[in-house]
Amino acid sequence: MLHAVAWFVWLVAALIVVSTTRNPLYLTLALAAFLTTARAIRQPNEPSAAPLAPGRFALYVIPLAALINALLSRVGETVLLAIPAAWPLIGGPITAEALVYGALNGLLLTALFAAFTVLNLAVPVRDLIRFIPRAFYPVAVVASIAVTFAPTTLRQMQQIREAQAIRGHRMRRLRDWLPLFMPLLTGGLERALQLAEAMASHGFASETATAHTGRAQAACHERSRMVSILGLLGILSGGLLTAWRQTFWGMALIVTGGAAIWGALWLTGRSVPHTTYRRAPWGYREWLVTGGALVAVAGFLFLGQATRTYNPYPALTWPAFDTFTGTALLGFLLPALVVGGHDD
Amino acid sequence: MIDFARVTYTYPDATRPALRDVTLSIPDGAFALVMGSSGAGKSTLLRCLNGLVPHFSGGTLTGRVTVDGLDPVAEGPQGMSRTVGFVFQDPEAQFVMDRVEDEIAFALENAAIPPEEMRARTTDALEQLGLTPLRQRKLETLSGGEKQRVAIASALALRPRILALDEPTSQLDPQSAAELLDALVRLNTTLGLTIVLAEHRLERILPFVDQVIYLPDDDAPVLAGPPRDVLPHVPLLPPLQTLARTLNWSPLPLTLEEARHFMSTDLTDETDFLNPLKSVRSVDKNTAIVEARNLEVTYGPTAALRGVNLTLYHGEIIALLGRNGAGKTTLLKSLVGLLRPSRGDVLVEGRSIARMDVADVCQRVGYLPQDPNALLFADTVLDELHITLRNHGIPPADAPIAPETLLECLGLADKAQQYPRDLSVGERQRVALGAIMVTQPGALLLDEPTRGLDYRAKAQLLELLRAWRAEGLAILLVTHDVELVAEAADRVMVMEQGEIVAQGNPADVLRAAPTFMPQIARLFPEQDWLTVADARYGLSCASTPSS
Repeated sequence: MLHAVAWFVWLVAALIVVSTTRNPLYLTLALAAFLTTARAIRQPNEPSAAPLAPGRFALYVIPLAALINALLSRVGETVLLAIPAAWPLIGGPITAEALVYGALNGLLLTALFAAFTVLNLAVPVRDLIRFIPRAFYPVAVVASIAVTFAPTTLRQMQQIREAQAIRGHRMRRLRDWLPLFMPLLTGGLERALQLAEAMASHGFASETATAHTGRAQAACHERSRMVSILGLLGILSGGLLTAWRQTFWGMALIVTGGAAIWGALWLTGRSVPHTTYRRAPWGYREWLVTGGALVAVAGFLFLGQATRTYNPYPALTWPAFDTFTGTALLGFLLPALVVGGHDD
Repeated sequence: MIDFARVTYTYPDATRPALRDVTLSIPDGAFALVMGSSGAGKSTLLRCLNGLVPHFSGGTLTGRVTVDGLDPVAEGPQGMSRTVGFVFQDPEAQFVMDRVEDEIAFALENAAIPPEEMRARTTDALEQLGLTPLRQRKLETLSGGEKQRVAIASALALRPRILALDEPTSQLDPQSAAELLDALVRLNTTLGLTIVLAEHRLERILPFVDQVIYLPDDDAPVLAGPPRDVLPHVPLLPPLQTLARTLNWSPLPLTLEEARHFMSTDLTDETDFLNPLKSVRSVDKNTAIVEARNLEVTYGPTAALRGVNLTLYHGEIIALLGRNGAGKTTLLKSLVGLLRPSRGDVLVEGRSIARMDVADVCQRVGYLPQDPNALLFADTVLDELHITLRNHGIPPADAPIAPETLLECLGLADKAQQYPRDLSVGERQRVALGAIMVTQPGALLLDEPTRGLDYRAKAQLLELLRAWRAEGLAILLVTHDVELVAEAADRVMVMEQGEIVAQGNPADVLRAAPTFMPQIARLFPEQDWLTVADARYGLSCASTPSS
């Protein structure tokens, strides 16, 4: 298992790359890299956690996106056929360019989906939840419970459906669902209450141990609240400055504001007494994966400046391809190389 | 260790206090049992120990609770978490994490225990409950007994001095319950942990207990003290103590060994016992209502039923025993068509149900699932019965039994207009029975009907089942409760891994396996007796010639 942060870096890099290009060659290459990674890290004995494979996703999304764009977009020189202009909304020429552009959007969505699939396979939901900042620890636990709650609710639903079936209940109209939802709702509330009791008895969200640290904590909270408000103001005014073309000062303010908020969260988190049970070591494999992802994104952004934009309009052209940029994208493959084999 | 001084507690919006003027004290290292009928306030009392009452429940609490020198009302449940470990009735409802060791470490994470110590403590807690081999397992893959032990281990991880458990064995089969109790006794003796346990099934627990707290239903004062001082004042007791009381054995025996001591002085081996005339029920073998023929059910690759044959006749009660996961519920579900067998067939009144709708089958064969709450949703008790009739398209005028009459027979006539979910566990179950029986099916299948029932509710259920049997109803009872089987069953079947491995008359089957032996059978191994009534009858016949 790789450290979840390494996967996060990988995911962010992947998202940046995918969302900054519409060049089909790069998109396809990135998609191939993601799919290879997904294949490499999937546990053979565990059933696929993803409800939908990226391949199947592509099958639906790419034609759909192409069709919709072709029907709605009127730009492009290569007219394939024309729908009578009198037809509302879709009337007009259908162009090859619009079709391709739509398909490219579908491809982009598929690549994004594949990147998330990889993360889903690589990091259990609970590990993801652990990376919610400690200041939001209660939120994290609520999220964790939601993960548990869903399957239990499904099981309960099944139980109630059976219970209603044995008293002659048949599902014909919408109103027939009522007997299922009432027990589900009350049962769910009862369970939620019981869980809350159990968590309190396990010392969850415990208030401060003593009055002394309590006061110190309150002061700390006050301070970090001020800092985060300032940070937020910084980001807002930075955003305004950027809008007025004061890009440098704007960006500087945004970055400072973000840092201030992060610091405030960190401070608040420190005052929440909490330790974690699972140790996630950071080793050479984590360095390799993060390094690979960073090389890919940096290479793509700097080397690929000229080639990464592709626009099929007004007439279809063959997309440009830069070998170095393409090679940089292979950095996303590193997890496939380092994970597996000696997986502990 | 635990002191209650004149504690009175009233839930918000309640007219009567749940605890009235309770004064008691539990010494350090005690194994204390909290007993009383449903609604007597057992859970409330336990929740006072760690401040869940009044912090979670609201309401007003007067008097003073002291636990290990702390005031739970001031500390709150979080503050008490290092002093009192709390285990709830349903282990699943209290899990936050998905793996065994993570669940145990959860409390330690909240307490900011340094990682090294956290590992040590987790390992320790796993070991104490015998869970070490399961530490990496997902919670959902564990059995009920294992889950309950995980719940205890996670309560122990914070090293509390008191462990409070709210009906921890109510969902377990007898073997798992016995294992759980063994674990608790070990914790009590080796760690000196003070254990406070609320429980309905006293049979197995009384031998280990050194303190009893009895919460009466009426306004009588709460009794607390050593079992021998308290138990004589408790109206409903397990068979052993009931028998001892009718025979005036004093002091009241808590264990079979103590009871045998009385027998060796009271009853000599020469005493000529007479076996009670078992009312051998002549079942008409031509009136099979439900018949399973070579039934096989598979869940994916695993076989849940492997060739089960069963015939249920009018006017008999069959009890089906077996460990959790033996396939008992699967059998019941396939008998009403909720599960379709991969091989074999089910006949209801001679017709195969393979092509019948579940609703149509259930008009002839009633089925009460384990959790009656899943059935109830109407605004009033009476409505629940009417809804079933409407589901089946039967106008109330044509109902085989008038809903009001059925409610009367269920002892719910005065609750007809109440909201079903406000009733006690036993009453809710009887409402569910009403919702099923209003179509007057010829057979009734019950899954664990005594779960969570106190002795009185159990007695009421038993009476009801016997009355229905007398009217010709065929009853199949799946249960872990051997005392109920001893009282009710005409035939007993034992299931193991999807097969019926033993069947016959109750005296033979129940006495063959040690875990299924009722207390009276254990006490009189030479006799054919199963219930207090059997023993009293036998003993009275025996003592007549000698006196």
